[in-house]
Amino acid sequence: MLRVSSLAAALVLAVAGAGLFAGGQPEKAAVNGPVTIQVFYPVAVDAPIAQILNGYVTAFEKANPNITVKPVFSGGYNDVKTAIQTTIQGGGKPPALAVMLATDLYDLINAGYIEPLDSYLGKMPDKSGYLSDFYPTFMSNSEFDGKIWSIPFQRSLVVMYYNKDLFKSEGLGAPDSWQALAQDAQKLTVRNGSDVSRWGILWSSVGLPYWLFQPLAIGAGKNIVGNSDTEVYFNTPQNIDAINYYISLSEKYHATPAGAQDTWGASPGDLTSGRAAMIVHSTGSLAGIMKQAKFDVGVMGIPGKTPGTYASVPGGGNLYIMKDAPQDQKDAAFKFIQFLTQPDRVADFSIQTGYIAARKSAYDAQAMKDYLTKVPQAAETRDVLQYAGKEMSVQDLAKVRNIFQDYLLQAFNMKMSASEAMQKAQTEADAALKAFK
Amino acid sequence: MSRAGRLFSAAGIVIVAMVWAAPVLWAIAASLRPFEFPLGSGNVWFSHRFTLANYAKVWSLAPFGRYFVNTVFVVTLTLAVQIITSTMAAFAFAHFKFRGQRLLFQLILLQMMIPTAALLVPNFATIRVLGLYNTRLAIALPFFGSAFGTFLIRQAFLGIPRSLVDAGTMDGCSWWQLLSHIYLPPSLAAITAFGISSISFHWNDFLWPLIITSSDQSRTLTAGLVRFTQLGEIGAQWQILTAATLLVAGPLLLAFLIFQKNFIESFVHSGIK
Amino acid sequence: MESRQKPAAAVLPYLLIFPTLFFVSVFTIWPTLSSLVGSFFIQRLNMAKYRHPVFGGLGNYSNLLGDPTFYQVLQNTALYVLISVPVSIILGFLFALLINRKMRGIGLARLALFHPTVLPMVSVATVWLFLYTPDYGLFNQAIRFLGYRGAQNWTGNPDMALLAIIIVAVWKNAGYYMIFYLAGMQSLPREVYEAARLDGAGPVTTVMRITLPLLRRTTLFVTTIAFIGAFQTVDHVFVLTSGGPSNASNVLLYYLWQIRFENLDVGEASALTVILIAVLLFFTVTNFLMSEREERADV
Repeated sequence: MLRVSSLAAALVLAVAGAGLFAGGQPEKAAVNGPVTIQVFYPVAVDAPIAQILNGYVTAFEKANPNITVKPVFSGGYNDVKTAIQTTIQGGGKPPALAVMLATDLYDLINAGYIEPLDSYLGKMPDKSGYLSDFYPTFMSNSEFDGKIWSIPFQRSLVVMYYNKDLFKSEGLGAPDSWQALAQDAQKLTVRNGSDVSRWGILWSSVGLPYWLFQPLAIGAGKNIVGNSDTEVYFNTPQNIDAINYYISLSEKYHATPAGAQDTWGASPGDLTSGRAAMIVHSTGSLAGIMKQAKFDVGVMGIPGKTPGTYASVPGGGNLYIMKDAPQDQKDAAFKFIQFLTQPDRVADFSIQTGYIAARKSAYDAQAMKDYLTKVPQAAETRDVLQYAGKEMSVQDLAKVRNIFQDYLLQAFNMKMSASEAMQKAQTEADAALKAFK
Repeated sequence: MSRAGRLFSAAGIVIVAMVWAAPVLWAIAASLRPFEFPLGSGNVWFSHRFTLANYAKVWSLAPFGRYFVNTVFVVTLTLAVQIITSTMAAFAFAHFKFRGQRLLFQLILLQMMIPTAALLVPNFATIRVLGLYNTRLAIALPFFGSAFGTFLIRQAFLGIPRSLVDAGTMDGCSWWQLLSHIYLPPSLAAITAFGISSISFHWNDFLWPLIITSSDQSRTLTAGLVRFTQLGEIGAQWQILTAATLLVAGPLLLAFLIFQKNFIESFVHSGIK
Repeated sequence: MESRQKPAAAVLPYLLIFPTLFFVSVFTIWPTLSSLVGSFFIQRLNMAKYRHPVFGGLGNYSNLLGDPTFYQVLQNTALYVLISVPVSIILGFLFALLINRKMRGIGLARLALFHPTVLPMVSVATVWLFLYTPDYGLFNQAIRFLGYRGAQNWTGNPDMALLAIIIVAVWKNAGYYMIFYLAGMQSLPREVYEAARLDGAGPVTTVMRITLPLLRRTTLFVTTIAFIGAFQTVDHVFVLTSGGPSNASNVLLYYLWQIRFENLDVGEASALTVILIAVLLFFTVTNFLMSEREERADV
C-alpha cells in the first residue's frame, strides 16, 4: 500500500513540478500607471523584420516612458489570426495590437475581435489629413459600415518583373496590352526540342490563385469584387475573357507552362537565372530579385486588355486594435500606431523591408528620395499603385475564395470551360453569401 | 545465394540507398549554396562556392536556440511521464487478471486511433480550463498517457516466460519487485524502441504544437519552421529554406547517425514480432 | 493468466492503469464525446449571429453530406490510404529482405533507407517542393532520365497532385516499416531456412512460402500503425498542395483543418470530426480484432 501511494504521489508531484517549469505566462495588464501592450506580428518577408520592429519599439518606448511594447512574432498572417483566436478562446487576454491581413476585415468584425478606430482617430488633431494621406487602394479594405477598422502597415502589390536587358537585345519594348504581352512572351520563349529553356512568362496560379489573377479581371474591365461585402462578380463576360486570355498564353502562344502552374516559389529564381523573361509576382520579392539578378530589372503593372492600360491588386497587412484588450492598453496601442505610421518611419520601413510605403507623404522624406534614385525599381513599383483595384474581400472570405479558386483552376486545367466554371462559382458563392445579406 | 544474385542485390542496394538519400543530400548541398546562384541556373547540386551564410541568416531570422530548448524540454518531459504511466499500465494488463480488463485496454487504445489534431476544438477548451494556453506543458500534456507505449510494453511483458514470474512470486516478491526485477530487465529493448518512437514523433510533431502556442517563447522547432515554409511574399529561396529545414531536422538526424546501431538493435530485440 | 496477490491489493491493477486512463479520457475520450455534442450545434466564428453555439440539429451533417467537396475528400482519403499503406509496407518488406545480410556498408544503406523517419514531415515536404519543380527539380530530372515524357506539374495538375503526396508519404515511411520487418526477420529460426535450402527451394519460393507467413504478426502490426498514420499526417499537404488544385489532394484531416481554421465553422468541424473518428474506428477496430485473433492463436 505504501509503495502504491508513494508512486502516485511521485507522479502527481512530477506533473505539478512540470507545471512550474512550463514557462510562458499571459501578460497581465496594469490598471494604473505603466502600461504594457503586446503586438502580435507575422514574419513573412525575407528581411530581419524582428530587428527592425524592435528598433521602432525601443524608439517608441523612449518617447513614451510609461508604455512597454512586447512584440510577439508568429509565422504568417494566418498564424497571427489563429493565435488571436486561440488566445481569446483559451480564456487569455488578446494583445492590444495585431498585424493581420487587410482582407480579414469582415471575419474579424463578425468574430468580435476588433473595434473601429474612429474614436481614436477623432482625438487626433488632423484626422482627415492623416487618413487622406494613405493611398486609397490600401485603405479600401479598412472601411465598413461607415467606420475605419484598420490602418495600412505592410502592404504589397502584384507586379510584373521583366528582364530589361533581354527585352532590349530582342528589340522589344515593355508590353502595354494583353496582345503585346502575349506576343512578347511568345517571342521570348526558347525551346530545345521538347524542353523549354526559357519561358516567356511565368504566372503562378497555384498557392494564391486569386491574387495573381485579379489584375487580369481588372484589366479586362471588371473586378471580381466591388464595394459590397456580399457581392462577387465571377460570372461576367470580362472575367471569362480574362480566364480565356490566361489559358491562351499556354494554349495558343506556348509562352507559359500549361494548366495551373505551381511557380510561385520558383519564379524569382527562374527570372534571375534566365529561365523566364517575365514573371508576375509580389513587390515583396524585389529585394531578393535585385540581389540575385545580373541584369537590369524592370517592374511594371500587369498590362490591361486595352492598350495603354495596366492593372494590379494590393496585398499585405494592416494594424488592428483588439476589442477585448483593456482600455489603457488600447489607447497605448493607438499611440504606437501613430508612431509607426509617421511619414519618416513609413519611409524607413519601406526602404528596409521592401513593403510599399502606404502614405503619400512618405515619398517626400529625404531618405526615400535618395533611395528611389539609387533603386529606380522601387519608384516603378510605387507607380503601379495608381492601377491597383480592390483586393478580394467579402463575407465568409475563406469559403467564397476557395470556391472561386477551385473553379478557376478547373478552368485553367481545362477540366471545364471558363464560362461553365464561373457560372458554377457564381452560384455557389451567392449561396454562401446569402446568409450575410 | 549465387554470385550473380549477390552482385545483383548489391547493385540494387546501392541504387535504392542513393535514391532514398538523394533528397536530403540535395538539401544539404543547397543549404551551402550562396544566394547569388539561383537554383534554376547551372547545376542544381553544386555552384562554384560553398557558404555557411544561409545558416547564419536563418539563425538570425528566428530564435532557433529557444526553439531547440523548448523542443528538448517538451520531448523529454513527455517521454519521462509516458514511460512511467505506460509501464505501470502495461504491467497491470500483462500480469493481472481483473474485471473490465479487455474493455479498459480497448478504451486506452482509442488514443492510437484518434489523432490529437483531430480533437483540436475540445482540447483547446481543456487547455483553457487548466490555464495552460501557450505553454510548453500544454504541448506535452495530452500525450502523458500513451496507448502506443502501453501496447508495446505490454507486448514485451507478455513475452516473459510464465515460469520466471511464478518463480518470483513463490520467492515472495511484491508486485513492485516483480515489475523491477522480472518484467523490466528483459523489456528494456522494447522500452527503448518506444522511447525512440516517442522522441521522434514529438520532436517532429507539427500541427498540435503550432496551434496550442502562439509565441516564440513556447514554440518548438517545427512550429518555428513554419515561418520559412510559408514562402509568403518572397517565393522559394531554396538556400534559406533548406538551411532552416536542416536546422530543424538536424539534431535528431545527428543523434540517429551516432546511435543508429543502438536504435536498430533495440527495435530488433524489442519483441515486436 | 492468474494473479496471486493479497486481497487488499485487488485494487492495484486499477491504480496502475489509472494515470494512463486518466489522460486518455481527458484528451481523447472526452473530446470525442464533446465533438459529438458540438456537432449538433451551429457555431460559425465569422458570423455574428452564430458566434456562440446555437442548436442546429443535424444541420451540420446535412451541409457536409450535401457538399460535393466532402465526397471528393472521402474519395481522395480512401485512395491515399489504400495506395500509400500497401505500397509503403511492401517496399518496407522488400527493403528488409535486401538489407538483411552481412555486407560491408550495409549499415550505410540501412541509414539511407531509415533516415526519413526521423525527419519532420514539414521539412521533408519542403525539400520535395523543390524535387517536384518542373524541368530542373530532382524528381523530374530523375524520371525524365528514365524515359518519362509526361507532365511534370506535380502540384498543379489535379490528376497528379494526390499521387505527389502519396509518393512523399511512401518515401518517408517505407524505411520505418523496414525496421519492423528487419527485426522480425532476424528473429526467425534458422532451421526452417536450412530445411528449405536442402529441399532446393529457390529465393522467391523461400520468401513467399516461409518468410512472409512467419512474419504475419509483424505485417498485421505494421498495417495497423500504417493505417493510423496515413490518416494522421497531413503536414505535407500543407506544404505541397494545400489540398489542391481544386481539392484534388484534399484529405479528411486537412479538410477538417480548413473547415475549422479557414472557414471558421466550428459546428461543421465537430461534425466532420465525428465522421473522421467513425472512419478511423471502423478501420482500426477491424484490424485489431484480426490481430487479437492472431495473438490468441499463438498463445
